Amino acid sequence: MSAPAQHPILDPAAAPPFPAAALPVLRNAQLRKNVAHATDVIQGKRNRLVAEKTDWTELRESASAIRAHTLEHLGEYLAEFEERCTLAGGVVHWAADAGEAREIILRILQEEKADEVIKIKTMTSAEIQLNPFLRQNGVRAYETDLAEIILQLGEDEPSHVVVPALHVNRAQVREIFARTMNLPELSDDPQALTAAARTYLRKMFLTVPTAISGANYLIAETGGVAIVESEGNGRMCLTLPRTMITLAGIEKVIPRFRDLEVMLQVLARSATGERMNPYTSLWTGVTPGDGPQHFHVVLLDNGRSAMLRREMERQTLKCIRCGACMNTCPVYRQTGGHAYGSVYPGPIGAILTPQLQKLEHAQTLPYASSLCGACYDVCPVKINIPEVLIDLRAQVTEKERAEDRRFFDPIYVGMRVANWVFASAGRFRLAQRAARLGLRLFTRKDGWIHALPGVGGRWTMTRDLRGLPQQTFREWWAKERGR
Amino acid sequence: MTGSRQAVMDRIRAGLGGVVEDGAGRSASLKRDYRQHGTLDAEKKIALLIERLHEYDAEVAECAEPELPATIAAQIARSGRRVLVAPSGLPAAWLVKGADWRVDHELTHAQIEEAEGVVTASFCGVADSGTIVLHHSPSEGRRVLTLLPDWHLCVLRTRDVVETLPEYFARCAEPPRLATYISGPSATADIEMTRIKGVHGPRFLSVVLVRDDG
Ligand code: SF4
Repeated sequence: MSAPAQHPILDPAAAPPFPAAALPVLRNAQLRKNVAHATDVIQGKRNRLVAEKTDWTELRESASAIRAHTLEHLGEYLAEFEERCTLAGGVVHWAADAGEAREIILRILQEEKADEVIKIKTMTSAEIQLNPFLRQNGVRAYETDLAEIILQLGEDEPSHVVVPALHVNRAQVREIFARTMNLPELSDDPQALTAAARTYLRKMFLTVPTAISGANYLIAETGGVAIVESEGNGRMCLTLPRTMITLAGIEKVIPRFRDLEVMLQVLARSATGERMNPYTSLWTGVTPGDGPQHFHVVLLDNGRSAMLRREMERQTLKCIRCGACMNTCPVYRQTGGHAYGSVYPGPIGAILTPQLQKLEHAQTLPYASSLCGACYDVCPVKINIPEVLIDLRAQVTEKERAEDRRFFDPIYVGMRVANWVFASAGRFRLAQRAARLGLRLFTRKDGWIHALPGVGGRWTMTRDLRGLPQQTFREWWAKERGR
Repeated sequence: MTGSRQAVMDRIRAGLGGVVEDGAGRSASLKRDYRQHGTLDAEKKIALLIERLHEYDAEVAECAEPELPATIAAQIARSGRRVLVAPSGLPAAWLVKGADWRVDHELTHAQIEEAEGVVTASFCGVADSGTIVLHHSPSEGRRVLTLLPDWHLCVLRTRDVVETLPEYFARCAEPPRLATYISGPSATADIEMTRIKGVHGPRFLSVVLVRDDG
């Protein structure tokens, strides 16, 4: 096994740039093997189940249309959700940013005199870094999703939105559980490891009176919340406690109950390669005699509303966090999730994180892509991720130029010169001739350039460059056809 | 209500260009060209449901309406379980002899946790995905009843079986206040993508299909 990596940093403000963060991972053979295995398995299942669905294209079309429509009318749908949820006995809170969301949740917990809380997997709570904050304020948060327990007990961080511990293998899980649950005899059989987690959590479910969840969908029409899961830990958390707090991004709303007939079909297939996930739970406010009698929803903005302005960026908010784009991404499949320095890794992370950070951090993420378009092909809500990546690259460049940070950078200077050269036919012709002469020095007999000096070396470090031909097309044309 | 409702709403409105929004409700007219209705005949539809349930390792027993109590009794006997909970609205005839019934008149979580199984009715079944739908009516029980016991015997009538998920939604005259869709027993694939059954929810699902569609 490779040496343990340093603790991954998922705070975009503190994380190293993507290329630097990716490098140690690329040298960690074990981690790459774990990621490749998991993504292969999910992709295989997803592809089989999508292929069997004769109306996949139409479902995807409708899922995309529903999400786009919702965002265009986000204010109205949120107001409708708030009204219905309140009527049903829920309390709706609005958080402008992460800090406010943390304070709201802490205040509810303090009113409940809670010093412990059980949690259903929620990426949004990781986004606002809730657990460390609660801990500083005397509340212990216990994760209950198997993958999240592995990460919490192993003091690790999620690397995928659906299977957050996919970078950890069974031997590593065994080591973590044996150590933290004090079970030296534990085997590394996934069955035994799962049983250990069941026992570890059972009492907690029955005794801890407060729970925190995320939401897959908020239903405007009814004020209800829907959560999909596999293990049943979600059902435990949203049925047994006295008080339930749901934290959800403002974009999670859908117009009507019936829209679930589309969203559930595309989500399960895309996320885990199942026709339906084992459990889907739906609840509306508070129901006397059934489940928590205090219910709070915290609606989180935290940079989302700023993404509504342009359609290009707005589409990012259509995401239903299925993870299909990361499973298929040739970059993610090599680096895993931690290199993205955010709880949202992969292609969706590469467009979501920089925008949530208002491009003040994570500027390298839009470049963490080969623009091959595989993510767009699989996305069940048709987010054109490559298009957004390119748009963000332009914004990053603009910003850097405006800040003059790149004025002496050879690439920036080169681009400026190229801009000037390409603007005139005469200059272009001259440049072609000069380049042919200059590059001849480096062109080998086989017609390829294997190494270039200076900045050019950055290109030839990883790939060869074809030498320039003896004649340009324009020269050939002039000769063949005369004037 | 606490927090920054106005600030967030203002930002959303500003983001969307401050247009007067009146499009809500229009979602009903969005394009929906996906399969709304099934195409299988009744027999094939039930066969598909059974196949899916078997894929999830659920047990399936079929019977006609008059044989239902006897079938429930037989399934309970086969399971080897005795202490069972029942929702308050479960038909009296289903509380068959041979089991130690705890009917849910405000049972505590501890009492439910002690039970070895639970017997309930269901709202409907979806053949395409092998899904059992509970709306938690008095005969389907509070949510906790079908959560803590390790074995769930669920009665489903064939006239309540639809082929596709959209057909289930079409059946809901009113959206349910509470619902649970069960597609196979509790499971995880978090460790090396190896599917392990029975994490927290019931580990065993047994379905009694009542042939009442003629
Ligand atoms: S961007 Fe699309 S594919 Fe990626 S997680 Fe979101 S919905 Fe899934």
